[in-house]
Amino acid sequence: MSQNTDVILDVEKVTKTFGGLVAVNDVSMQIRRGEIFAVIGPNGAGKTTFFNLITGIYKPDRGSIRFDGEDITGKDPAWIAARGMARTFQNIRLFGAMTALENVMVARHVHTKTSYADALLHTPRYHREEKKALERSMELLEYMQLGHRAQELAKNLPYGEQRRLEIARALALEPRLLLLDEPAAGMNPQETEELQEQIVKVRDDLGITIVLIEHDMKLVMSISERIAVLDYGKKLLEGTPKEVQNDPRVIEAYLGRGAVEGAQ
Amino acid sequence: MKNLARNQLLLSLAIALVAVASGFWLLSDPRGTLPFLLTLASLLGAFLLPISKWLKVLIGGAILLIVVPAAGFQNSFLFELGVQIGIYAAMALGLNVVVGLAGLLDLGYAAFFAVGAYTWAIFGSKQANEFMPVKIFPLPGEYFYLFMLLAVVAAAITGLIIGLPALRLKGDYLAIVTLGLGEVVRVLANNLDQPINITNGPQGITPIQRPPVDWFIAIFNQFGIQLDKAQAYPLFFYFLVLGIIGIVTLVNIRLDHSRFGRAWIAIREDEIAARAMGIPLLPTKLLAFATGASFSGAMGALFAAKQLYVSPESFTLIQSIIILVMVILGGMGSIPGAILGAATVTILNVDVLKTASEYLEGLRSSGFTINLGFFKYNFANLPTQLEPAKYERMVFGLIMVLMMIYRPEGIIPEKRRVLEMRESE
Repeated sequence: MSQNTDVILDVEKVTKTFGGLVAVNDVSMQIRRGEIFAVIGPNGAGKTTFFNLITGIYKPDRGSIRFDGEDITGKDPAWIAARGMARTFQNIRLFGAMTALENVMVARHVHTKTSYADALLHTPRYHREEKKALERSMELLEYMQLGHRAQELAKNLPYGEQRRLEIARALALEPRLLLLDEPAAGMNPQETEELQEQIVKVRDDLGITIVLIEHDMKLVMSISERIAVLDYGKKLLEGTPKEVQNDPRVIEAYLGRGAVEGAQ
Repeated sequence: MKNLARNQLLLSLAIALVAVASGFWLLSDPRGTLPFLLTLASLLGAFLLPISKWLKVLIGGAILLIVVPAAGFQNSFLFELGVQIGIYAAMALGLNVVVGLAGLLDLGYAAFFAVGAYTWAIFGSKQANEFMPVKIFPLPGEYFYLFMLLAVVAAAITGLIIGLPALRLKGDYLAIVTLGLGEVVRVLANNLDQPINITNGPQGITPIQRPPVDWFIAIFNQFGIQLDKAQAYPLFFYFLVLGIIGIVTLVNIRLDHSRFGRAWIAIREDEIAARAMGIPLLPTKLLAFATGASFSGAMGALFAAKQLYVSPESFTLIQSIIILVMVILGGMGSIPGAILGAATVTILNVDVLKTASEYLEGLRSSGFTINLGFFKYNFANLPTQLEPAKYERMVFGLIMVLMMIYRPEGIIPEKRRVLEMRESE
């Protein structure tokens, strides 16, 4: 293990069941500040449920989650987001009827200090804050190469751009931790490559810690510093890409029992 | 480019011509339904067509501030209609915030109208003497304006009280609960004559004080126009409603263009994503609910003063549904849509259907006969039950069904505006 003890997200023995199904079973994970961390595993392994637990959409049955030293177990998603945790969704969840720019501006909500009265009376503060929100949102759109799409409705953007817009929107929260749920899903190889560079850039430029769920193993292995593998809700192992790649349990989890013996 | 400019000029000329012609027609025939509708159509045309802003303001101002009041002197029904449209338009704008922007289906909206109406009705009449320790009621009419603000506050608080339990539910469940809680308010108004008589129960409260209009009459006297009180009140309420519509529209636009408006739309579009972007669900929904309620409360106070009479009858479920119909008809989330929806439904309701009824009645009593050779019909045989005014709800239902099939987004759909980067400011 590395000596770096600066942990930004500390998940401890978290369990979540739905009826009889144990979706996440006693999972612990420590994400270090500034790293790119990947969570992989076969379909139905509980990866998205794990994200939903961290971001507060589900409340864990057992276990605790600490974000930057603060206990966030069972807190409201909006409260957690305002504290600096942003995410994207596996099945894109943009605000379809709003423009790309407005989508990003929505996430400026907690950083815009306009009161209700300011908004009604158009006080100088309203104008100042609105301008700030607009400029920062535009900046982020440019950053994700979506500047030219600012005034288009989110639902009219092509698929790949929608995925990038979700990241731009998440960045507008000015997060310290960014959770990406299958950011490359449905992208062609070229788009995936661009996305890969973009993710590394986000971490390097903005110093944001990134946790991603991804099925594209090429992307996962080339950008993540550490990887955790989930299977049937349990954490199978955790390690560097090399360690994970060579572990027979991972191959077994993906291809089924007996696959390892069969391959040998 | 040149062509475009010429087209715009032609368009401007055409709409101005129609507006002037319909205006004069209305002035010469103030009782006619057709000239009235044509005047309103030119108003709508001026608003919707791509013509210069100044021309829009000129046509709108001339029709609303000169033609309609002048015609209204000869036919005060026009004021009645105008005020009714205005009251409904303000309420539709309020409900538009709740249903259109925030996407919360509220079927108990008339409850807030009731709260506003009773706020002024109780203290602007002798009713408050029944339970207040000091017997100084009715309060003089000057207090009306203060009570209009109080009605806003009272309705907003009622919105919070109803919203706090109801807004934990979504969609259909929310609709049913708001329907129930809305009815609770009406039933309370109906039964709070015991043990302490607060609302005077089903008899309702009358007479209710009106704001004084002496200053209003004095202004007109300055211009050499003599008014008596009976003429002044309809005109006064007409202008008051116009002013309130202006304020309400401005409030609506400003909220829509703020972080609150964006948060409401975000919640409407996707609750989970909105929460993940830091928007707290319940407070944001409550804000929408209270905002919508306050518009309704203000109009309630005005309604009480205009009618001189309130009773629980005026705040039934059908009222809530009619306002919802206006919002859906106009286009959910659209500000001009809400106003147009309110105008369309009100005119249909109190003018067009009534006129159609009277027309059929005329044909019946004169015994008019259609003779097409193969088809002969004497209108004297027309059953007396056939009266369009009685089919109000059927006509609404039909309109809604047709809208849902052919134009589900409403007459003037919500348009997301173009945000511009302001470089130099």
